[in-house]
Amino acid sequence: MFRILKKSLQTGVVTGQHPAGGAPSEPVSQDAIEKAKPFRRSMTIREVDTGSCNACEMEMNALANPVYDVERFGVHIAASPRHADALVVTGPVTVNMERALKDVYKATPDPKIVIAVGDCAVTCGMFKGSYAVTGPVDRHIPVDVRIPGCPPRPAEILAVLAKLRQDDPDADT
Amino acid sequence: MIDARPAVEQVQAAFTQAITEVCAVHGVPMLRVKKQDLPTIAHFLHTNPGLRGSLSLLWAVDHRPREARYELCYLFTLAERKDWLLLATDLYGDEREFPSITPHLHAAKWYEREIRDLFGLIPVGHPDLRRLVRHEHWPKGSHPLKKDFPWDRVLGRVQGEYAFRKIHGEGVFEVPVGPIHAGIIEPGHFRFSVAGEPIMQLEVRHFWTHRGVEKLFEQQRLTEAVPLSERVSGDTSVGHSLAYCQAVETLQGVEVSPRARYLRTLFLELERLHNHIGDVGAICNDTAYALAHAHCGRMKEQLMQLNDRLTGSRFLRGVNCVGGVALDLSGLQLAQVEVELNTLEQDFSAIEKIVFANASLTERLENTGILTEGIAWDHAVIGVVGRASGIDRDLRRDRPFAAYDVLQPKVALYRYGDVRARMRVRLDEIHESIRLIREVRRGLPLGRLVTRPMHEAQSGVWALSAVEGWRGEILYVVMVGEAGRIHRCKVRDPSFVNWPAIQWAALGNIVPDFPLINKSFNLSYAGNDL
Ligand code: SF4
Repeated sequence: MFRILKKSLQTGVVTGQHPAGGAPSEPVSQDAIEKAKPFRRSMTIREVDTGSCNACEMEMNALANPVYDVERFGVHIAASPRHADALVVTGPVTVNMERALKDVYKATPDPKIVIAVGDCAVTCGMFKGSYAVTGPVDRHIPVDVRIPGCPPRPAEILAVLAKLRQDDPDADT
Repeated sequence: MIDARPAVEQVQAAFTQAITEVCAVHGVPMLRVKKQDLPTIAHFLHTNPGLRGSLSLLWAVDHRPREARYELCYLFTLAERKDWLLLATDLYGDEREFPSITPHLHAAKWYEREIRDLFGLIPVGHPDLRRLVRHEHWPKGSHPLKKDFPWDRVLGRVQGEYAFRKIHGEGVFEVPVGPIHAGIIEPGHFRFSVAGEPIMQLEVRHFWTHRGVEKLFEQQRLTEAVPLSERVSGDTSVGHSLAYCQAVETLQGVEVSPRARYLRTLFLELERLHNHIGDVGAICNDTAYALAHAHCGRMKEQLMQLNDRLTGSRFLRGVNCVGGVALDLSGLQLAQVEVELNTLEQDFSAIEKIVFANASLTERLENTGILTEGIAWDHAVIGVVGRASGIDRDLRRDRPFAAYDVLQPKVALYRYGDVRARMRVRLDEIHESIRLIREVRRGLPLGRLVTRPMHEAQSGVWALSAVEGWRGEILYVVMVGEAGRIHRCKVRDPSFVNWPAIQWAALGNIVPDFPLINKSFNLSYAGNDL
């Protein structure tokens, strides 16, 4: 117990110790901000990997670590699409995942927004044209927000999420 | 009595009739054999006490348009000598069948199913010919690695369903999980058959993230495919790109400079470090010990930020290039790395103590998800998982690449084969990685970063390369095509080998422990599915 306390005290607060994200490389549209309005104070995300290389997932996971601590902005990660307000999709949508993506979209209650994270989800990236890829994501389901990058840094994803909370007086950008 | 003659001679002596050609491909001895004799020779290599060969890779090549021939190659690692030996056989013209070696070697099971799916060649005698890579909705006859299959064909969709293995009996029911999981992880399907709590059978149904990587390689030029190799399995960017670069360097006769070799070692160890630390945290998280997870998450992030500062990529992308490394590190940077890693090591050791002082955590790890040495051997399991089950293999020591011949890493080895052992291997390797990085700094020679090719890579020639990534052995076979293009690139992430083994490790455990077992394996889906 003493050891744990000592470690925690020595470590201190690490939240926010990361380089700034900079402006989103693709602007967040006014429509998307409008659509995200109901989730300004609390947004539950369901992540769907439709054939990513796993680096995009790792950056999404990083958002939950103590450094980025996305929960402090009211963003939660849900285990089921049925609990989600937002779908975050990574990967170029493989033929094998196409059906699952559509099912997840249907299972997510309205209103909802869809965020495509990574070059693969936005344009299919390096996998464009392959027989095994049917994406990008917006070929199959409507996409509201796009975060390009291979992979985008967590701080960049955070910056976009902040943008979506824009007219919340409590939000720090 | 153990026969001391070279393996090739032994096989030659035992199978004089079967062998049609003996040669060497870039130093690896290769025997071309008649296809009907494959199973017996494979069995001999596998069971002979002086050889104890385990199947490391099995791949096929479609030689069209140059000639109407399919070639099958079997790479064996001879456990007693850490040597490689290749068997090869050919199918000419319209021949589509080859004898399966799976009845003798479990390890061939997925490889042969993969070849059947991607090339349409049929392993006769294979006990399980269900589809592997191609899901049931793929139309019949679509075999994407055949040369007459266009890389950008639209597949279309048919009806079909995968037949999972069934267990019948009173109270037996199935628990389907996936392809989309609860956490932020890659897609895969697990089908548990349970009666009460213990798992009676687990079947893994993967290949959801199949993107056609190998076919995409064939659309690239030899020297330009490094970015694609970095995206085969994003968490292993350095491992995969290094394996790819090494293969191309062999083809071009490039001798990489010592400085580049050292830097490659450094980057590979940095990659191992952040992944292992993340895994230790994730294992703790799956026993609901959030404190250790938070600390490990913080340290992993610290390392990724360090990567970013050093190379401009949190995943160390863009560091490897054909002929060497694309960027240099200054003395100052290296000094900073060392200082940062020194504090990190202290920091991490404190967490280790906290973790192992927590009996309710260690209790969950011990005897959970045991993979016995016997099963690990049968399935040719490698990497972290193998070393936790007594399989003493590490390419950094056995077939040194980069600067490992000088640096001589210590290999972690445990025998219990449970989650605890896999965690222990990672802990040992974390300290060893930090030591190796210090050594790199101390011994880093001066010199150029990129070496120019001696000659153009010759069309039709191929090379094999192996790298011990953080998960285990990464193998690449690259064959040159016309005009500097790639004719064939076989990619083998260690996950492809270790996934079938998890089906055994889970047996008898309770379903709620499966996430923990899965985390302790931490295999790649993208690298497996390609
Ligand atoms: S965008 Fe890049 S990092 Fe993300 S899944 Fe695609 S290849 Fe991987």
